[in-house]
Amino acid sequence: MSLRVARAACDLAVRTCEKAFPEEGCGLLIGPIPDGFDRPGRAVAVDEARALPNGWDASSKNNRYLIDPRHLASVESELEGTGRGVVGFFHSHPQVPAWPSPFDLAMSLPCCSYWILRVQDGKAVESRSWQRSEDGRSFIEEEILQEGEQHEHRDKVADRLAGVRR
Amino acid sequence: MNIEIKLPTALRAFADKKDKVTVNGNDVGSALEELFTTHPRLRQQLMGADGKLRSFVNVYVNDDDARDKQGLATPVKEGDTLLIVPAIAGGSTAELTKPELARYHRHLIMPEVGAEGQKRLKNASVLCVGAGGLGSPLALYLAAAGVGRIGIIDFDVVDESNLQRQIIHDTPSVGTSKLASAKKRLNALNPHVKIETHEARLTSANAVELFKQYDVIADGTDNFATRYLVNDACVLTGRPNAYGSIFRFEGQLAVFGLPDGPCYRCLYPEPPPPGLVPSCAEAGVLGVLPGVIGTMQAIEAIKLILGIGRPLSGRLMLYDALEQSWRTLKVRKNPACPVCSENPAIKAPVDYEAFCGMKEKPAFAIPEMSVQDLKAKLDKKDIFVLLDVREPHEYEIAKIAGSTLIPLGALPDRLGELDKSSKVVVHCKMGGRSAKAVTLLREKGFDAVNVAGGINAWAESIDSSVPRY
Repeated sequence: MSLRVARAACDLAVRTCEKAFPEEGCGLLIGPIPDGFDRPGRAVAVDEARALPNGWDASSKNNRYLIDPRHLASVESELEGTGRGVVGFFHSHPQVPAWPSPFDLAMSLPCCSYWILRVQDGKAVESRSWQRSEDGRSFIEEEILQEGEQHEHRDKVADRLAGVRR
Repeated sequence: MNIEIKLPTALRAFADKKDKVTVNGNDVGSALEELFTTHPRLRQQLMGADGKLRSFVNVYVNDDDARDKQGLATPVKEGDTLLIVPAIAGGSTAELTKPELARYHRHLIMPEVGAEGQKRLKNASVLCVGAGGLGSPLALYLAAAGVGRIGIIDFDVVDESNLQRQIIHDTPSVGTSKLASAKKRLNALNPHVKIETHEARLTSANAVELFKQYDVIADGTDNFATRYLVNDACVLTGRPNAYGSIFRFEGQLAVFGLPDGPCYRCLYPEPPPPGLVPSCAEAGVLGVLPGVIGTMQAIEAIKLILGIGRPLSGRLMLYDALEQSWRTLKVRKNPACPVCSENPAIKAPVDYEAFCGMKEKPAFAIPEMSVQDLKAKLDKKDIFVLLDVREPHEYEIAKIAGSTLIPLGALPDRLGELDKSSKVVVHCKMGGRSAKAVTLLREKGFDAVNVAGGINAWAESIDSSVPRY
């Protein structure tokens, strides 16, 4: 079970979240729709990331993010029939661990990847990715693989950019 | 009728990988039902246990959000497209920092609160309606307890006469905005909480949007129109209302608007006639009283956030400071309540000033004069009666030289003391009671005129040696 992220997509997600600090940054992860997307243990390969504005009201952007359904709808319609789709979402947790909150769980969709980046004092220092179970009760962690790297180099993504090992 | 339903990537695995499914149906609900018949795994993803769409799931009929139309009952016709799009949301749970662990130690060692409860407080938000007598202890204790986000709505400035009870403000703040003064004090008390100020009057136009931004609303208002507005907006947004009110030596306390509990309208379907219940500015209030009631509101707000104990819902507590007694009355949910029943008549905030009778025009316009006119009249040595209709203890605090005192309540029996042939100029503290006196006097054939703004306006504009109270 893994999330493989292309270098450019990774750079964009990290940049977006660092720029949004101390607010949460967020966006879409796009790639080929995998076979058995709903299967626990499926592999997702992200070849593109897109940053979107945090649509939560100004008072709580430090610990909340919201992607306007209209933005999502327009990207989904653009990708219609191409075999690619929105296979996951990224967002940041400023100053707190990249561990999904009860609120993340309550608002999440099945199948896709939830990639959470911890931004500490403006720098991405840790990232973890999760797939929600079909019954909506839990998140299962998945490995993050950087494009072209092997299985054992998990979470190289944030390491490379921040130079900090979690 | 053939309706096309488009699915987001994340849900296609539950519909044989199809990005669109064609179904039959007359409305959104029946179209979705058919979708669930063929693809049953989608139901759990889209629908809540209550049979409604989950809060973050949006269904667009062509390009319109079904929620803005008739929800699941929105009609659909041949060729329409239903687009299912989730709003993607989430966020972090704020953890407790080292200084916070030290600060909240006495909470953390109680298992009913603990680290879990303290985190709940940190991630919670309360809106205080008013930064006055009730709002002062309320906001101070909420901030001290670590409620992460505290909103305050008010539009007033600090007046010297506030300081006898509004302990969030201080003497150097007199004349400055109540919000700025409250924010400064709260930030100094606890820098870990966020204070959001809303410099505005709460109105039917802004209440719903504002309330949606908070978990709990605490009503510390001093008038019936705003109290009904707070109640209705709480019910409409599903926010509980930690309610308190004060009058002279007595206070009231309750939690309104919980799903199974009553609302303020269940208790008081109609406001009292305007003018029957005087405000604190007219009738006075023991300075400590809002300290008792506002603190109790803070306790209820914190209990609601922590989910501990028994909220004061379905009960009204009455406090009498002179007797030093508390009484608890049962309040039942009114099955025909116009706002919180199953088929409410009120679906959006109404005009509360009209509801409370504040817009009713008197039978005739009450003739008025300004304090400047009164001064000119006195200086010219015109012959007229200057009638003061306040109470004797008020007369002792401040008076205008040459006035005759007949309290409003005694006026009907003492009309004989007044000379019908001369003009009667009537004043009170602020102009309210004297307006009633003018109405009575004119009905009895006197040539009576009201002094706008009362003795307080006189003290402010004409004679600064007269104390304001």
